[in-house]
Amino acid sequence: MNSNPTTTAARRYKIQLTIAMAAYVVILFAATWVLNRYALQGSLRYAVALLPLLPIAFLIPVVARYFRESDELERRIVTESFAIGAAVTALLSVTYGFLEISGLPHLSAWWTWGAVMGTSAIARIALNRRYE
Amino acid sequence: MKNRLKVLRAENDWSQAELADRIGVARQTIVALEAGKYAPSLPLAFKLSKLFSKPVEEIFDPESAD
Repeated sequence: MNSNPTTTAARRYKIQLTIAMAAYVVILFAATWVLNRYALQGSLRYAVALLPLLPIAFLIPVVARYFRESDELERRIVTESFAIGAAVTALLSVTYGFLEISGLPHLSAWWTWGAVMGTSAIARIALNRRYE
Repeated sequence: MKNRLKVLRAENDWSQAELADRIGVARQTIVALEAGKYAPSLPLAFKLSKLFSKPVEEIFDPESAD
């Protein structure tokens, strides 16, 4: 049966995600090439550097729609895993903030993104097991 | 929450995937419901009630709620 709305939503999400990620890779390479090739200055340079974010911004409503249309247990697991991920990341970032004050090297903001996604993924695996 | 879903599903000779498709959820949700590890939303409980033509309290045991 193909009428299951959660399956339809998942299929639509995968297609839109694939398109956005493909656009991201293309724009990322193009922007990197432009920045290396031309000595852009000031706001134009920042604008080109931020171009790869356009497909990511497009993904926000896509993810929001998929979240609303997905299976209710899946929705609960995702919500709970991101709540746990946010809490753990808050603890990790404050912990490292104190360590930075104590002399450890400054870390890039990229790590926060990695920490949220990583800790949420671990929480999600644990929560999936809980509901089996 | 304890329930009679597994029995009702067996009476209709449906697989977990078939039941999931009939009420528009993922199979994982049927697994969790049957194991009593997940209490469904009110709309989902009513969908099950309609599908099996039984009142919600004949499918789910309110005494076993967390």
